[in-house]
Amino acid sequence: MNYNYYRNSSNLFNPEEGYNLGNMFADLYKGYKNYKPAKLTGRTPEEKSFLELSRIGFAMHEMNLYLDLHPEDRTIQQLFNDYRKMFLELEEKYEQNYGPITITSDTLEKSPFAWVKDEWPWEGGRNV
Amino acid sequence: MFSYQKRLQYPVNIKKKDLRLAKYLVTQYGGANGELAAALRYLNQRFTMPDNKGKALLTDIGTEELAHIEMLETMIYQLMKDATLEEIKEAGLDTHYAEHAKALFPTDASGVPFTTTYFATTGDPLADLSEDMAAEQKARAVYENLIDLTDDPDVIGPLLWLRQREIVHYARFKELFEYYEKKQNDNSNKPGNDIMFANSMENNQLPNNMKNNQAFSNQQPFDAEYLNNIFKNIDLNRNYIRGLEQKNSIFI
Repeated sequence: MNYNYYRNSSNLFNPEEGYNLGNMFADLYKGYKNYKPAKLTGRTPEEKSFLELSRIGFAMHEMNLYLDLHPEDRTIQQLFNDYRKMFLELEEKYEQNYGPITITSDTLEKSPFAWVKDEWPWEGGRNV
Repeated sequence: MFSYQKRLQYPVNIKKKDLRLAKYLVTQYGGANGELAAALRYLNQRFTMPDNKGKALLTDIGTEELAHIEMLETMIYQLMKDATLEEIKEAGLDTHYAEHAKALFPTDASGVPFTTTYFATTGDPLADLSEDMAAEQKARAVYENLIDLTDDPDVIGPLLWLRQREIVHYARFKELFEYYEKKQNDNSNKPGNDIMFANSMENNQLPNNMKNNQAFSNQQPFDAEYLNNIFKNIDLNRNYIRGLEQKNSIFI
């Protein structure tokens, strides 16, 4: 087991920085030439709440990959727990206001079936 | 099984059509080092990983690659959708148009269709993970080549982001490779022990440790500086979450 790895990986970005960069772990980050990653911002309330959902979802996923290899790391487990709770909350609120993201959403109980209503992501829907 | 989320992992909003660029980008969808090959590579190899750590990591990264395929598809679709027939001919995409019109199809930048010969499964975790590490590095290099070929910030943003994911995945695969390699070396030093993972993680690991409240056991060397650092980072992340909770204004 490489213990240095544990040590280094304590340098975490916050979800906003991490999502912009595509990497939550500061010790793993490597930029390319002088390119700066885009600073993502939402203009409307929908865009803002969607962006928060994406950030937290990404942070949760990064903790997930780390925990796959270090299932006994309680510190990262705690962060994963926090992000997961927040993600579920953000997702539910977003879906109630703006439509379903997953097929298990409560918002799909009503007729007409909302799954087919919104723009698809490649057409510019939910794309902040 | 897999389930779909109606959102991209990272936003793609390309406003300017650019057929030449679409022709290059398609290689990260259906080329030798592309995302389709990556997803199939990991989602096949995972079945013969020797323990649950490997099965989990290859499943989760393989799944993320599916989301990257979707981002690439979106980029190519947006770059092509408003093109005229003249522009398509001029960019050399008439050969694509003949078969597919403006539909998506996984090929490399020269139009060679996707083939499963782009990846391997050997049943040997060290051989498979070496391939995975190489694949992530090659994909990173290709993303850099593609970034060099454009000056459209709407394209550069997602490409930089996808490039960074290759770096993270490479680091995770490397870590798993080194873990297995060490395990194999440790086992091969013991006489009569020729089974690679005789004492695999499933048998001796997790739940007991956690139930007994001993996650911070003497398995891991901790020092004050390390602990301070890690708790500081936890606080930063917690504050971020708390800030979100209080800032209800993001919801109508």
